[in-house]
Amino acid sequence: MFSNALTENKRKHEKYEIFYFIFSLMLFTFSFFSYCTFFSLFFHFLSYSPYPICASREPSAMLRVRCTLRGGGGVLLCLHRTAQYRYPSGPERVLTRSLSRTPDSSRVALKLQTRLGVTLLVGVGLLGAWWWVEQEKQQRRQRQRVEQLRTVALGQGTFSLLDHTGHRRTKQDFLGRWVLLYFGFTHCPDICPDELDKLSTVVSALDRDPALPRLQPLFITVDPERDDVAALARYVRDFHPRLVGLTGTPEEVRHAGRDFRVYASAGPKDEDGDYMVDHSVLLYLVSPDGLFLDYYNRTKSPEQIADSIRNHIRNHRNKSRPV
Amino acid sequence: MAAPNSAQRKACWDARDQLWQCLDDNNDKIQSCQKFQGDFEANCPAQWVKYFTKRRDFLKYKDKMQREGFTPAEGPQVNS
Repeated sequence: MFSNALTENKRKHEKYEIFYFIFSLMLFTFSFFSYCTFFSLFFHFLSYSPYPICASREPSAMLRVRCTLRGGGGVLLCLHRTAQYRYPSGPERVLTRSLSRTPDSSRVALKLQTRLGVTLLVGVGLLGAWWWVEQEKQQRRQRQRVEQLRTVALGQGTFSLLDHTGHRRTKQDFLGRWVLLYFGFTHCPDICPDELDKLSTVVSALDRDPALPRLQPLFITVDPERDDVAALARYVRDFHPRLVGLTGTPEEVRHAGRDFRVYASAGPKDEDGDYMVDHSVLLYLVSPDGLFLDYYNRTKSPEQIADSIRNHIRNHRNKSRPV
Repeated sequence: MAAPNSAQRKACWDARDQLWQCLDDNNDKIQSCQKFQGDFEANCPAQWVKYFTKRRDFLKYKDKMQREGFTPAEGPQVNS
């Protein structure tokens, strides 16, 4: 039953995708043909003047077809030949100049200008409409996602943990800040360092924008037996300077993990007493109100995450602005 | 035993990458890559050695699935 709702949603989404694809295709085709029409008309006009550019060496109709077919390549070639041609000198020049100013060609020029103007206007208008529709689609997708996550209601509780300097921190201490949170452990072979590097990249990227608030990156251990305050202090040094590591008693850590439905399971110990902790790998975004807004898995790139966070910040600002 | 720091992690990853490169070149024949295997085990904690060995098997399996495809298992049919 749950999967039915999902597939229906997906089908609706797919319909929208097809619609946008066809719209983009029509826009591209229109732009391509108006581009060819412009250039073929341009050379048709030039064929009226006696300057022997490529237009006069062959019938203009053939040139039109050739330019329309070959589009940019043929056009550039014609332009190149035009640039290379040298103006005739002396009486020939006067004659040709007067010939080119026939009322016929000026009417064609005017008609060309209006056609060109209309083409450009319509093209720009279509592009603008398409861009606006894309933006709306992104916004709607983001809003739907936030709504879905709100019903899941993660991160509602509080936590009380020790940070890597030995001070006690609770969830209240982080209210008013945007928090990007990761659960891991210091003995992790590659996943946690990679994810924390990604986290540092995202926070640094957002730091570069002075208009955005500074994010607070957090690292909560799922291995409190080994990751004490000193171990965390050694570990977080390798990543973003603002990264705060949090640990505590096994019960406190379990409570924090349960709040975000984090899966963590310690594996068997080997003869050195070393073991791996299998855990879910996600970056959690928490708003300044302490509400869980979004999560990012391993497939998301730093750019995608930064864009998503910028979007969330913008929406959050828009919501809290007085009407 | 303290967790490896950034430099130790990098040393371990480099040794692992060299070992995997050697295995790729030698068609997964572990005998030809004994030197790299030794380096790898020296630079990485035992748990990481086990983890990375399993990871390599998983990555090769995933690659095989993506290249050769698979036949899905016969499971219960869900009425949608």
